[in-house]
Amino acid sequence: MPTDSPPDARELRLVVDLNRCQSYGQCVYAAPDVFRFHGEEALEYDYAPDPRLRREVERATAACPVQAITLGRATEPAPLASEPVQ
Amino acid sequence: MTSTTHQHTASDLFAQALRYEHRANPYPYYEQLLRQPVIRMDDGTWLASGHREISLLLRDPRISADRLPPQHQRPIRKSLLVEDPPRHDQLRRLVTQQFVPRVMGMRDHIDALVTGLLDAHTSERAGQLDVVGDLAYPLPVTVICELLGVPREDESLFGSLARRLTRGLDPIDTQTEDEIRELQQARGELVEYLEGLIARHDATGGDDLLSGLMHSQEPDGPMDPVDLRVTLGLLLIAGHETTVNLIANGTLALLRHPDALARLRTDPDLATPLVEEVLRYDPPVQMSGRSTLADIDIAGTTIPKGSRVRLLLAAGNRDPQRFADPDRFVPDRPDNAHLGFGGGIHYCIGATLARAEAQIALTALARRLESPRLIADPPPYRENAILRGPERLPVSFTRLVPGAGEA
Repeated sequence: MPTDSPPDARELRLVVDLNRCQSYGQCVYAAPDVFRFHGEEALEYDYAPDPRLRREVERATAACPVQAITLGRATEPAPLASEPVQ
Repeated sequence: MTSTTHQHTASDLFAQALRYEHRANPYPYYEQLLRQPVIRMDDGTWLASGHREISLLLRDPRISADRLPPQHQRPIRKSLLVEDPPRHDQLRRLVTQQFVPRVMGMRDHIDALVTGLLDAHTSERAGQLDVVGDLAYPLPVTVICELLGVPREDESLFGSLARRLTRGLDPIDTQTEDEIRELQQARGELVEYLEGLIARHDATGGDDLLSGLMHSQEPDGPMDPVDLRVTLGLLLIAGHETTVNLIANGTLALLRHPDALARLRTDPDLATPLVEEVLRYDPPVQMSGRSTLADIDIAGTTIPKGSRVRLLLAAGNRDPQRFADPDRFVPDRPDNAHLGFGGGIHYCIGATLARAEAQIALTALARRLESPRLIADPPPYRENAILRGPERLPVSFTRLVPGAGEA
């Protein structure tokens, strides 16, 4: 695994809009330590992942086809899941 | 008469977009088609170009993935690409179970393959590289062969078959009679090749995907020999003819946007959103197809039951209703819900793999090529209109630095 960028030590805060989530599973492939399937469809995730996993989490955020994942920092208020764009 | 004029125009615009002389830039035609997000064509088929409309149709249970024209000969067994639930779901589950664990943790191996392919051209002096022939093609082919358990030596055989078969995906009226005849022959040759491969495949050993599908202990498995052959053919061709275009289209975008190239050189984290933007801006798969199982009301019109519908993914990706400044290449574009991998239950099964290959290949090119320049702009394009991309992508450089020390 490339580790060329210094890990950002600040804590991460993750919000997944489960109304938007369609179980594409792209986040599970991109960041298996953070996202996993519980049973067939339900998504489970770690809302405060280890900051060292930042890169994987960013990849997962970008890979989500419906943009259901929002990544913020614990020092900021937890971001509200955005409404679907029309 | 206004509406007939409109319909006539849409059919003409679509025909123009498909013409080979417009292959390098069909986007101005898509832009005009977007004025009507869903429209009936002169031949009775339908065309959806709006982002919202395509997204809805991709997820609509009243839509079938069977897109063959009614007069077309039906295949004996449908692949999961054109199959509907519940059979689609059984086939897809089996493939996913085999595919996903093998793709996870492949990044280092892909990185090593990219390094090796570029090392072959390392040079302290000015030189040239064909990004398609030297990197964008051999990389995904090697990866898919390893993954599936297909001998790399057979590449010259199935490579040309894949090429002829994907041309067959294009609208029939853009193909010549010779091409259609060739297509029939290629189909037969592929069946023969795959049956031989399955028969020869070591029935006990090997931890490749083919072995996995043959011996799956899952509730839906193992696959019977016909499904196995059809699925293997699909994965082999899809692995062959799509990622090559993603890497080539990405390289092309970088060379046309030197600021993005400079940023990627110093910031490898840019690779993730940048590849998403390539998938939006210049997607390897330009369109998909479906048929309707019921009347569907959409965008102020009704698509009748039994219609064939083309989903112009590449147009939806440039829909100004969804994307700000859609014709601009923005490497870190936020909220980029592009249609590059389709959507709904048929969402590209290889998306994770394609992303990893493109992120790694484009980052390596940005880092290792000094002063890269396109030799021909636009480059020569392949004939294919749907799986669209450059035939060759010759790039000159002042130096191609060694890959050693890559972090």
